[in-house]
Amino acid sequence: METVEMQTLAGVIDKKMNRQLKQYIDICARCAICKDACHQYVGTGDFKYLPARRAELIRQVYKKYFDKTGRFVPALYEARDPDDNLLDELYDSTYACTGCRRCMYYCPFSIDTAWILSVAKAVLIAAGRGNEMLGQLADAAIFKGDNVAMFEGVITSGFEEIAEEVRAITGNPDHGVPVNKQGADVLYVALAGAHSIRPAAVIFEEAGESWTISMFEAANYGYFYGDPEKARLITKRYIDEAVRLGVKEIVVPECGHAYRVAEFFYEAWSKEPMPFKVSHILEKVDDYIKTGRIKVDKGLIEGTVTYHDPCQLGRNGGKFEQPRDIVKAVTSNFVDLTPNRAEQWCCGGGGGIVAMEEFKDVRLKSGSKKVEQLKASGANILACPCENCRLQIEELNEIHELGMEIWQVIDLVVASMPLPGNKKSAGA
Amino acid sequence: METYLWITSVWGVYLALAVFIIGMGWRIYEWATTPKSAVRLGMFPKPATKTGRFFKMLKDTFIAPHSAKIEPAMWVFAFAFHVAALGAFVGHGRLIAEFPILPELLGHDGMNAFAAMSGSIAGVLMLVGVLFWIGRRTFGPYKSLSVPEDYLLLFLLFGVIVMGDHMRFVYGDIIHADTYRAWFQSLLTFKPMFPEKLLSGNVGWSLGTHMLFTDLFLIYFPFSKLVHTIGSFSSNRVRSE
Repeated sequence: METVEMQTLAGVIDKKMNRQLKQYIDICARCAICKDACHQYVGTGDFKYLPARRAELIRQVYKKYFDKTGRFVPALYEARDPDDNLLDELYDSTYACTGCRRCMYYCPFSIDTAWILSVAKAVLIAAGRGNEMLGQLADAAIFKGDNVAMFEGVITSGFEEIAEEVRAITGNPDHGVPVNKQGADVLYVALAGAHSIRPAAVIFEEAGESWTISMFEAANYGYFYGDPEKARLITKRYIDEAVRLGVKEIVVPECGHAYRVAEFFYEAWSKEPMPFKVSHILEKVDDYIKTGRIKVDKGLIEGTVTYHDPCQLGRNGGKFEQPRDIVKAVTSNFVDLTPNRAEQWCCGGGGGIVAMEEFKDVRLKSGSKKVEQLKASGANILACPCENCRLQIEELNEIHELGMEIWQVIDLVVASMPLPGNKKSAGA
Repeated sequence: METYLWITSVWGVYLALAVFIIGMGWRIYEWATTPKSAVRLGMFPKPATKTGRFFKMLKDTFIAPHSAKIEPAMWVFAFAFHVAALGAFVGHGRLIAEFPILPELLGHDGMNAFAAMSGSIAGVLMLVGVLFWIGRRTFGPYKSLSVPEDYLLLFLLFGVIVMGDHMRFVYGDIIHADTYRAWFQSLLTFKPMFPEKLLSGNVGWSLGTHMLFTDLFLIYFPFSKLVHTIGSFSSNRVRSE
């Protein structure tokens, strides 16, 4: 690699530098307490997945180019160029990271390795080594935003089919899936796929909510890819729709990163205040149950139910109790996983890793702690409000023959509602 | 020996303190003048109030309860080391002036005995902590993760502590704080001198070597990962933002 090219790549780190990042780089003691916090390191034993090692690669480049002592005595810090060897390891350790931030939780200095790796992704993208699949998915989402008319017919007919199913479940001919309804209170930004829309529609309609859906989904591959501008453009699609429709609230679906993007990232990316309240669908459902807007029956779910905190919704989103309250409202047989809430093990499927076939082996190995937890719980149903987590756990379920049913929380809710056309809506 | 003492325990001290103070000031200035991240990097659970977040930051920084949970052995050794280091730091305050109240309660000899006992405990705990860290960095992922900076710092700390313990355990009954205080106060008043007691025996070599390691440690401190001593307050505050 040419010196100029390496200097350019190092310059990306400088461009991305902020106070927190600088402190993380300066203060890490390489104590490696983080090693036992990382599901990937624990599951694989591979040194490159040790959180402090992942961050160390960025630190080594930073020391070589931007730190006075690093430039003076590079050997002391093993400071080095962002050459091909470094980039090879950086690619694996960065794109494999699920961004669960469990390492940050246990770090005595609360070092956010995932934040350091957001810079690593910027370096990799600048080097033309960004993950191709994630980049393509992000570009496709942006293309859809710019050319929505091309997709509108197909999407709308899909909504009509789902509306039929909703009416069949609720038995109410007035129920449906309102699309682009001007003046609705709530814009539900679903994931692509009927499974994300149908149960939510049943719940919204039964609760008498003033709601609508639009053409755009919540998944954000720009975020996983590591390009804040792509991520902003993907999010902006539904923010613009919400402005156009005049809604008061955006509700994001059972998806961990979608909630974090809307609630915690978009304002920083767009440099504008979010004009609406952002809620997670489980906040709404919890409220509907507690205020009696929807009725649930505890006797309809058979078996023992447990709950997995998706990292982006729990540790990184602060939603620990509402999902549990919902699950406890629909079953008398709830057992929590151990550990849980902020200490919950990452399932291994976040950060876009389920879309990257090249990391399949490490992904499945890194689910070992989740498998242990699920086995120890004795539960036969898992409620899990994150698409990526469900995909991962379903695969673990099959490989390890756990014999569990993996459900969306809203599917459990619908299954426990005394409705005429109710049937178990498989979350799996 | 006198030349050695002048280099390590007079000019070395002035140089080390100057580099340490300017270096730490420079480090803080660099952090303070770098813009904050626009993205909120906090995690949950976090207290709802500013006061709650402040006390959580103190708890996370001084107690590190999460680290204790995931690697208790490391936490025990690290916590013992840091408490002992704090105790040693406070104890070295006797070089500036004798403590108030305690000498009146314990008497002159009693105070020296108390200092000998507490200093010995702190010295041993620190030594055990450093030996644990050195041992930990010699195998497995800890070794792979370590860079020369880690070993250099441990070497310097080891030197500081071993020579401090040497002075405590070998000369502790002969030379007490008032002798060292005379030397240290002379530094503070910029009229450096060494009491005869320090020059007449081998204790001068011990002090000189203790100070040599201390000088090097302080000189390197602001440019090392040891800036976590101040940076961890800020990074732990970000956790609750």
